[in-house]
Amino acid sequence: MSRSMLLGSLFAAAGALTPAFAQDASVTVVLAEEPDLVEPCMATRSNIGRIVLGNISETLTELDVRGGEGLKPRLAESWELVDDGTWRFHLRQGVTFSDGSAFDAEDVKHSFERAGSDQITCEISRYYEGIEITPTVVDAHTIDFTAEPAQPILPLLLSLLTIVPSETPIEFTREPVGTGPYVMTDWTPGQSITLERRGDYWGEQPEVARATYVFRADPSVRAAMVAAGEADIAPSISAIDATTDMDVAYPNSETTYLRIDHSVPPLNDKRVREALNLAIDRDAFIGTVLAAGTEIAVAIVPPTTLGWNGDIEPWGYDPERAKALLAEAKADGVPVDAEILLVGRTANFPGATETFEAIQSMLSEVGFNVRLQMVEVAEHEQYYSKPYVQTQPILVGAQHDNSRGDPVFSMYFKYHSEGRQSGIADARVDELIEAATAATGEKREALWRELFAYLHDEVIADVLLFHMVGHARVGERVDFTPTIATNSQLQLAEIGLK
Amino acid sequence: MKSMLGKRALSSFVSLFVLIVLVFFLSRLTGDPAALYLPVDASEEMRHNFREIHGLNDPLMVQFGRYMADLARLDFGDSLRKARPALDVVLEAFIWTLWLALVTMALVAVAAIVVGSIAAFHVGRPFDRFASVLSLIGASAPDFWVAIVGIVIFAVNLGWLPTSGTGTVWHWILPIAVLFIRPFGLILQVVRGAMITALGSAYVKTARAKGVRNRPIIFVHTLRNAMLPVITVIGDQAAALLNGAVVVETIFGFPGVGKLMIDSILQRDFNVILASIMVTAIAIFIMNILIDIAYALLDPRIRA
Repeated sequence: MSRSMLLGSLFAAAGALTPAFAQDASVTVVLAEEPDLVEPCMATRSNIGRIVLGNISETLTELDVRGGEGLKPRLAESWELVDDGTWRFHLRQGVTFSDGSAFDAEDVKHSFERAGSDQITCEISRYYEGIEITPTVVDAHTIDFTAEPAQPILPLLLSLLTIVPSETPIEFTREPVGTGPYVMTDWTPGQSITLERRGDYWGEQPEVARATYVFRADPSVRAAMVAAGEADIAPSISAIDATTDMDVAYPNSETTYLRIDHSVPPLNDKRVREALNLAIDRDAFIGTVLAAGTEIAVAIVPPTTLGWNGDIEPWGYDPERAKALLAEAKADGVPVDAEILLVGRTANFPGATETFEAIQSMLSEVGFNVRLQMVEVAEHEQYYSKPYVQTQPILVGAQHDNSRGDPVFSMYFKYHSEGRQSGIADARVDELIEAATAATGEKREALWRELFAYLHDEVIADVLLFHMVGHARVGERVDFTPTIATNSQLQLAEIGLK
Repeated sequence: MKSMLGKRALSSFVSLFVLIVLVFFLSRLTGDPAALYLPVDASEEMRHNFREIHGLNDPLMVQFGRYMADLARLDFGDSLRKARPALDVVLEAFIWTLWLALVTMALVAVAAIVVGSIAAFHVGRPFDRFASVLSLIGASAPDFWVAIVGIVIFAVNLGWLPTSGTGTVWHWILPIAVLFIRPFGLILQVVRGAMITALGSAYVKTARAKGVRNRPIIFVHTLRNAMLPVITVIGDQAAALLNGAVVVETIFGFPGVGKLMIDSILQRDFNVILASIMVTAIAIFIMNILIDIAYALLDPRIRA
């Protein structure tokens, strides 16, 4: 009783004092996890990219995710192919870093070399793996990139390379310097990160003068913070909380699927893989276990990606046909009764456990012998990447994120016979991936289209499930529409104030 | 008493060493940090390079020898994820946990002792019944639920308190209130039980016969005798709080050591795991010694 009296009086006292909320041109963004580093070369990691990309650091080129303009200039004003393997970039002039130094071609060269250094593990470098890229400074504002083998999408690859001054030491920095419209002015670990607008930014001044990022692991608390006016934007809240008119659903560029290792029977039989696909009632998930707005996937990349093939018919729900296929395979001696392990990752997405449980029961209903195992991220990784566990047939439930506009960021890893997470080894698939990777323009698009159809209809490479949606809560003070890229970047310049 | 403290310190030191050895080897059995740190599609070369940079390619015994040698110089190594000294990361978080635990336990101890004593004095009467029911409800309510409901009521609907975070004194109220509930219920029950026993003893009857009034009977005669089991439970509960209040820290975005520990385990950030376990272990050892001293002060028989 003394407790309730004590608290009661404290609350009454607190009522007299209203917390000071963000005012004027400041916004507060509440994110799920604090980045371990605010390191420009790690900006392809989403929790870092959301703060760094386009705010602190800029790239030579930039993919337009709002309109349909494709690849746009940012720090490079233009670029052209000089010869087969060499791209020339003309850099913007009059740009300065937040430390006052001027931006030139040497900075670009250093940024590229630093990202690829073997003294640190910058994430960006993985996108350049297997390609020998040499930057050559032509003059202060012109730089050539020569790639071996030739890279038709080199300008797109450079949309991932954040530019740091040439004085930046190789080791990870805790004080990022960039050419972007904002500079990091405070980082209190465990609590908040603050960015402030620079007066000397080369481009248009954004409306938001100051942004504070805070971190709350619980989605209900993130939603509550916007509701209470403590935060303006919560880019990711749970679907269960997304019930107010402040909440927006948006495609979050994640695709859920079951990866099949084709080398272990009975999954090496195409009829069995077709039966897996036909046994799952995908429609039943949408608006129930998964949020309304979730789309059925026919490819591992979302529909906004180059070469996405709208002609592919999703697998319908046909348990009778699935049973017939299994019976047929069984008659031919395929061990369809073998126990199949379905591996899911706990908290991979909201409703993950329920989703995999439902899939297990749907598969069992047509006669599969499926055991479900939900594991945490590190254990999941042991199933997901090569060398594979092959003690029994295994389906790995996973999510893949590609908001970068081109399938090249996915297809090699997921489907090439050498890919670290590929379940297949198909000569035609390898050929198509290699040809599409090297092609440009309409030819590239056509090759990707062909590959998607071939994988889905002929190889039946995997069980593609859903393109997922995320939910954001946006407070009344600000004007912001999340996009497919919001998962990986959140440019403050795109936020308006009411 | 000095010899007792010396023995205590020595056994604590041995326990700490065993703990370090166990955690060092067990944590390294749980998996490869390279697989978690690097993106899933990173090549074997990148992984190898990562392990090389962080000395993870060496045999375990070599890694352990290096770790102990560094530790002897009070170098706890760098955090794999945060690329800065692990001890800095841990101490930064531990300060928050320490304050949270101290304030909560101080409030709990005072409240539970006062309410428990009064309840024991009025056994079976409405105040006692009410306190018992309240403490049972408190001890059995799941804290994540209490926390979320607290936020919805006091921050979103009433707007009296901030939802979460740190910064002002108002930010501490909800987390402390949530942490308060369970130990309060538990300690209140222990106080009540011990006090009922003490109040039934012969010396209380004698005191009453001499005409001593209620207040001195509770606070001078019985409480001191009833305190021994209470201190044990307070110590136990305080140790749990010093280990970090994971649920409360997670929900309220409180930068304490509990969430840090869980995150570092999930990320296989070995140096942070070890540093946080050592820091909390040392804090708990110190607290145990303080409890021993408290025992000795309260009970002359232990002082020998």
